[in-house]
Amino acid sequence: MPGADPDGAGAWVLLTYRLPREPSTARVGVWRKLKRLGVAQLADGVVALPADARTREQLEWLADEVVENGGAATVWDARPGGRHAERELAEAMSEARAAEYRAVADQARSAGLDEGARQNTVRRLRGELRKIGRRDYFPPPERAEARRAVDELAASGEHEEATR
Amino acid sequence: MRWATRAHMHIDRVACAWLIRRVVDEDAEFVFVADPAEVPADATAFDMRGVELSHHGGDCSFETILRRYEITDPVLWRIAEIVHEADLDDERFDAPEAPGVDVVVRALGMVCDDVTLLSHTGPLFDGLYEYYRRATLLGREPS
Repeated sequence: MPGADPDGAGAWVLLTYRLPREPSTARVGVWRKLKRLGVAQLADGVVALPADARTREQLEWLADEVVENGGAATVWDARPGGRHAERELAEAMSEARAAEYRAVADQARSAGLDEGARQNTVRRLRGELRKIGRRDYFPPPERAEARRAVDELAASGEHEEATR
Repeated sequence: MRWATRAHMHIDRVACAWLIRRVVDEDAEFVFVADPAEVPADATAFDMRGVELSHHGGDCSFETILRRYEITDPVLWRIAEIVHEADLDDERFDAPEAPGVDVVVRALGMVCDDVTLLSHTGPLFDGLYEYYRRATLLGREPS
């Protein structure tokens, strides 16, 4: 299977697609799914993910969805033309995730609030971390920082209870 | 009857195979292929691009099979929510079990071939069915 080998660096999977302007719900639906997958947008209608069994399958289903909505789509096995090109791609994706992790860390640190709201925030931010983690192919250092911030927020409540 | 799907199964395919055996064809025989062109002429393909029993209109293949065979069992539709979220993760349903079930199937897939994987996941889905059947009767989580 392409890309399933953990040492098989350099294998990417691309989706090229074209969707009619209307209905816009189809366009928005596809766009949301691409965003959830954390794709690198290479050009209009061209997105990329590091290849593994899961990313390939997800892009194939999306290709089908595009076709079902009257568009055209093709899934490609691809290899960036050189390590430099791949590194730039990976860095851009890593930076996109870093921004998401920073947003989580900021929310964790600014959550003062009462006990109930704090617990809800912890739960929500942990869900957010899981979601980001699933589309995080090149984890940036911000990941550990965000986890720590949320863990600290969770622990701050136990602390208060213990000193009460 | 023979049924065909892509080799190296994940959650949607193992769940479909279980569902097919349970409610569509108890003597179902499964064939695993690397490429759609390898599907035997006498086999019904599922969870593959371009076939009827696959992803359609935002549904995963498990949901498509339930619809195609007009299966209304609420317990199977509850399991469908878990399979959908484990496979597509699009937050259409609230299924907190999904990531756990997905990890279990992925983990077994790392140490089993497809035939062995089905023999292990069969009891898992039988158990989930019983669990959600009791939950439906009780109106709360069974102990």
